[in-house]
Amino acid sequence: MKTTRTLRRASQWVVFLLFVFLFLNTEYKDNDVLPYAVNLFLRLDPLMAGAATLAGRALIGLVWPALIVALLTVVLGRFFCGWVCPLGAVIDAADATVFRKVRRKGAVPVSWRRYKYLLLFFLAASSLFTLQWVFLFDPISILIRTLTVSVFPAMNLVLHQIFDGFYRMPGPIPGISEPAYGFLKSHFLAFEQPVFRTSAIVGLLFLGILAAEKYQRRFWCRNLCPLGGLLALMGRFGLFRRRITEAGCTRCGLCESECRMGAIGGDVAVTDHGECIECMDCQAVCPEEVIHFSGKEGRRPAAVDLTRRGVLAAAALGAVTVPFFRVEAHGKAPDPLMIRPPGALPEGEFLARCTRCGECMRVCIANGLQPTWFEAGIEGMWSPILVSRIGYCEYNCTLCGQVCPTGAIRRLPLPEKRKTRLGLAYVDRSRCLPWVGQSDCIVCEEHCPTWSKAIVFREERTRTARGGWRTFKKPYIDEELCVGCGICETKCPLADRAAVLVTSRGETRSTGVLAR
Amino acid sequence: MIPGGCPFSRRRFLQAAGGAAGALAASALFPSALRAAAGKTVDVAAASAASPAERARKAVALLGGMESFVSRGDVVVLKPNIGWDRTPEQAANTDPEFVVAVAEMCLAAGARSVSVFDRTCNDPRRCYVNSGIKDAVERFARKNRVGDALRIYHVEDRKFVRASIPDALAIREWDLYRDALEADKIVNVPIAKHHSLAGITLGLKNMMGIMGGNRGQIHFRLSECLADVNRRVPVALTVIDAGRVLVRNGPSGGNLADVKSFGKAFASRDVVAADVVAAEKIFRLAPRDVGHIGKAMESGLGIASRAQIRLVEG
Ligand code: SF4
Ligand code: SF4
Repeated sequence: MKTTRTLRRASQWVVFLLFVFLFLNTEYKDNDVLPYAVNLFLRLDPLMAGAATLAGRALIGLVWPALIVALLTVVLGRFFCGWVCPLGAVIDAADATVFRKVRRKGAVPVSWRRYKYLLLFFLAASSLFTLQWVFLFDPISILIRTLTVSVFPAMNLVLHQIFDGFYRMPGPIPGISEPAYGFLKSHFLAFEQPVFRTSAIVGLLFLGILAAEKYQRRFWCRNLCPLGGLLALMGRFGLFRRRITEAGCTRCGLCESECRMGAIGGDVAVTDHGECIECMDCQAVCPEEVIHFSGKEGRRPAAVDLTRRGVLAAAALGAVTVPFFRVEAHGKAPDPLMIRPPGALPEGEFLARCTRCGECMRVCIANGLQPTWFEAGIEGMWSPILVSRIGYCEYNCTLCGQVCPTGAIRRLPLPEKRKTRLGLAYVDRSRCLPWVGQSDCIVCEEHCPTWSKAIVFREERTRTARGGWRTFKKPYIDEELCVGCGICETKCPLADRAAVLVTSRGETRSTGVLAR
Repeated sequence: MIPGGCPFSRRRFLQAAGGAAGALAASALFPSALRAAAGKTVDVAAASAASPAERARKAVALLGGMESFVSRGDVVVLKPNIGWDRTPEQAANTDPEFVVAVAEMCLAAGARSVSVFDRTCNDPRRCYVNSGIKDAVERFARKNRVGDALRIYHVEDRKFVRASIPDALAIREWDLYRDALEADKIVNVPIAKHHSLAGITLGLKNMMGIMGGNRGQIHFRLSECLADVNRRVPVALTVIDAGRVLVRNGPSGGNLADVKSFGKAFASRDVVAADVVAAEKIFRLAPRDVGHIGKAMESGLGIASRAQIRLVEG
């Protein structure tokens, strides 16, 4: 009876490799249009789809694949967590390696598993009232965000340093290492070292999820994951369920101690079908071979240990918190540096839909899209903004709109993208070199990509610091033409703060339905 | 700011001024004597033909063929302008056919390897792709099975090395690209176009593509810096693509209305001479009108006067 378990393991591997493949290909590969749906996993996620739909007050066509997962779950049960979820696979892999030898003895109370449901109701209620928090707890979003912002850049850095070290060595070493480097570079490494704000904290949070395995297997999936909670509720009556032929069972308890989800409780014949992720391990270890997975069922499912009061309290809390966030002053006076990607919806809709998955940051060709801290308030944490001093928006690029799984960033045709204004640049005349009579420069004008330049210069006499007069080419911004791409700010040769800066003034996004 | 600062000591200034004054006096008295003193005449080819490749070939042929510049076994760096995420029609980058034609001539002259690269201003991948240069070079290499010898690749940070520039006008040291420093021959293949700060950009300016670091800072004293880099890394041959010329909104352009068809190519072993002629023929500019060309002539980088140039037209 080990074949189904083998099948399940194979499925986890295949899905995870597909996930990594899509992640690595969320990148410009000499093609203006990404050839396939690199955001597939996010679009398969019913939790995110539901939250974005509820909070955004819109039917989102992009997330139709989530319906398939939902339907399959109703029919088959919570198979997603055991067979598909890439975060589950990572957690299982950590278990099989790092935590293989750990002895855990009843450290975590069984009752904790209800927190994932409470969280789910909390999130559902706040989403219903337009505040979308799901990004904090959604496993797919967590995994892609962590890889994008934290793990991949860090791995890239380490590998680069190793190979740079080899490269500088005398003797035959570079001859061996360089071909390997070339291979990695074209298939795996980043084109340029990415850097992200909040990368350390995102990485640490993720480590926390893995470290919890010390106390309980699949700690995250059992107790916290709201997607797990949702799938558990949907799949409780699925056809594919664990069943024991009691006659042959010796009550040896192997299945119970093997179960990674703690879905077998007290009596080994009783299964909590919401918790069971159909990993089939119990079937594989049962010496009597009396465990089966089928539609017919011996016993009624164990009740979800949820009280009505608990559910109501969680939902009420979710609803009640919303106004507190809505009276934060940034809604009235948004941060001027909150420059959203081209095609971003109006702020209310944008935050309601944005999954903080980091797909847009991953794909942004100039590394300009960065996770926010609190520029958009606490509820806007990790949403993308363009930080022009780090990187600019490439004039002919439309990639972020292509990868956004919920349409928070609309997919724009290139001509429209070129006209989409993210903000407006202004010249800080107290720092700009020609303006203060320091030296020639005009690097901003040179880089400005609009076809009739949004930065123009005029030759003007300027008083220098010493009191003399000299003629310089001084930059002026034509606000009709500026699209706020920020390349001028990125390239301004002043080493610290640029003398030409972009703020969100004049951005094309209008006030939306969910005004902020 | 600029590593090593911009030394412009009083003493150096006086030397320069004195030298200029002396030369001026001499030229007034003995014009022919000056010409001899400042060096022999140098040829500049000006070729017209229908296609970019033919223009490139004709220009080099007028100078006696690529064999006069590239020897058998040379490691050659071919430096086009791939600076911008623009298409060939937008004329912000060297024409891909033009680049391939020059590469082909280098290989035919016996070059051991020809490396093509540029440090770009927009995203490097987009520039390489949309300029059409990556595809054209790779296609040529594949078709002729010269993939080992002819390669186009991206500039990597780790390959910049700090190079000192003796007698620098502005930059005593700077990070330059290792492959350019180590090459036997550099063939400079710029496109002629308008440039907001420099006025125009031709061969001298194109060599900025081998510079690392914060290149924006070079703009503070662009003319001096360009003279310094070109003296540190002399090129064997400059072939200027003047087929399509961006006459406004350079160096990045974008608007096809700013592109004029000119149908020419210029070439010379002396980058200053090539620039002088191209500036005059395309833009009607005299050397003194273009800061960096004037500075390069003064600094002894190439020819020192228009009179030293022999124009070979074809
Ligand atoms: S922000 Fe601009 S450069 Fe970055 S992915 Fe979006 S369109 Fe491309
Ligand atoms: S942000 Fe700067 S570079 Fe971009 S369009 Fe405006 S002025 Fe031009």
